[in-house]
Amino acid sequence: MAKFWKQFLSGIVITNPLFVLALGLCPALAVSVTVTNGIGMSLATAFVLLGSAIVVSSIKNFVPNIVRIPIFIVVIASFVTIADLTLKAFIPTLADSLGIFLPLIVVNCIIMGRAEAFGSKHPVHLAIADALGAAVGFAIAMIIISFLREVLGTGQLAFKVVPYFDIHLFTLPVLGTSPMALFILPPGAFLLIGLLLALFRRLGVLKSE
Amino acid sequence: MKDKLGQYYPILALTVVVFISVAVLSGMDSFTRDTIQYQKELKIQRMLNQLFPEMSAYDFDESTEIYTITADDTKIGYAFLGVGVGYGGNIDIVVGLENKTTLRGIAVIAHAETPGLGDKILLPDFTDKFVGLDISEVNLTRDGGKVDAITGATISSRAVVDGVRAAAMEKAKLIPD
Amino acid sequence: MSDLLPIFIRMITTSNIVLVMYLGLCPFFGVSKKLGPAISMGAAVTLVMTIAAIATWVINYYILIPFDVEFMYIVLFILVISSLVQMVEMTIKRTNATLYNALGIYLPLITTNCAILGLTFLNIREEYTIIQSIVNGIGAGVGFAIALIMMSSIREKLELADLPKSMKGLPIAYISAMILALIFVFTFGGVV
Repeated sequence: MAKFWKQFLSGIVITNPLFVLALGLCPALAVSVTVTNGIGMSLATAFVLLGSAIVVSSIKNFVPNIVRIPIFIVVIASFVTIADLTLKAFIPTLADSLGIFLPLIVVNCIIMGRAEAFGSKHPVHLAIADALGAAVGFAIAMIIISFLREVLGTGQLAFKVVPYFDIHLFTLPVLGTSPMALFILPPGAFLLIGLLLALFRRLGVLKSE
Repeated sequence: MKDKLGQYYPILALTVVVFISVAVLSGMDSFTRDTIQYQKELKIQRMLNQLFPEMSAYDFDESTEIYTITADDTKIGYAFLGVGVGYGGNIDIVVGLENKTTLRGIAVIAHAETPGLGDKILLPDFTDKFVGLDISEVNLTRDGGKVDAITGATISSRAVVDGVRAAAMEKAKLIPD
Repeated sequence: MSDLLPIFIRMITTSNIVLVMYLGLCPFFGVSKKLGPAISMGAAVTLVMTIAAIATWVINYYILIPFDVEFMYIVLFILVISSLVQMVEMTIKRTNATLYNALGIYLPLITTNCAILGLTFLNIREEYTIIQSIVNGIGAGVGFAIALIMMSSIREKLELADLPKSMKGLPIAYISAMILALIFVFTFGGVV
């Protein structure tokens, strides 16, 4: 049981997919314009991570090495398709904002990496722990990035899941009227990630000293 | 079992996995297809409603791609999609016509314009300028028309204007007198 | 015909696949440390993108839609792309040893490149014809290559700069990307 928690926690901090391993950045930067998107993407990715981890880990003894990669691809792609269809049917606003990055979860390096490196070599319960850790790590990183981008870029924080109905949380005094739109655009995203990566490296350096 | 089938085992394993995937996904598809279709129609309905709040029903002609809007059995207008080429790519616009010559209004439904500048084309401040215009007046004021460009976003403004005018001119010809 | 040139130019500039559309970031930061590999990677990506654009277009309009299995697009596209990359790699290996040494090793890295799969999804979403899809693919590849070349030229110089330890490598690369993105988003606008 201790193994489970250790694997889980390491996924969040020590091997945080976004900030430490720098994996899965494409969708992260593209989608993180609003916190709603950030949370939505994290949930979809978590679903695919967990699903593939469970399936890959369960069938690992039946999978010959030669066809290992194609089989993993089919498994991951299937879970992504399930997520894609489900969102398009039940939360279309989110499906629209995530755009092509929802089906692109299939090539999110995090998922293939986890399945290949861990899921295919460990028992199911550990694979779940690993997937959950990576998922939570990813989610935390996504929420931090999209929070910064939405607040700095629009001066407000709002949740828009159903059309014409958004929960408006707050509007900052100065930023509300003249927000730094740069952060919603690509340059701002790169700047933020660069600074955050540097920050985590600095913290890592401090830890090892 | 692995040894019995020998060299065929890998292919078989892959085929089984693909079969299961197709089966599961077909199931998902049957389960969600109608809902997805419903959501698409809902989106169109909301879009048309934006321009024609009093709408009660609409009809779509596949060949002309024009929506005919009715309110309690009276035809109140027409709507169709227009495309403008803006700063960041295509701008999708819904154009509403009252009749063959007068605009009801427009609504921008998709764009890739610069946030804070070009994305002001979404705002009523801009779109309201199209209300009641004659198709011939759909042009920027600096080009002889009646639509004021957004300060600092001339390209986006012009893209919308050009897209609306082109679509309106093309579709107006197809509307029966 | 008149719509092809705008598609091509836009893919390189205001909709640059890496700097504006956020696609292809993994290999972008992975292979941009030196100029040589960058050029090879750019060429390889353009090649695979164009072939993938054709293959996926055909699959979509001749298999998926007629058989009403459009929901299988994710599974099929990614499988097709991986097989394509394998085949291209093997063909180059056999026919042209020099080309293989330049390009070949980067090909496997391209399979999980979100740019390729992303490009194919874009073609479907914009409902491009096959010619438009091909032009889109070539444009995207060229845009990727240009961004990659600019990036690697910058990074080669940065290797010699005196940076704080935490900024070295990836972080400063992202800041450089920011500057490139600024150029692409703001300066090129209005060209098309």
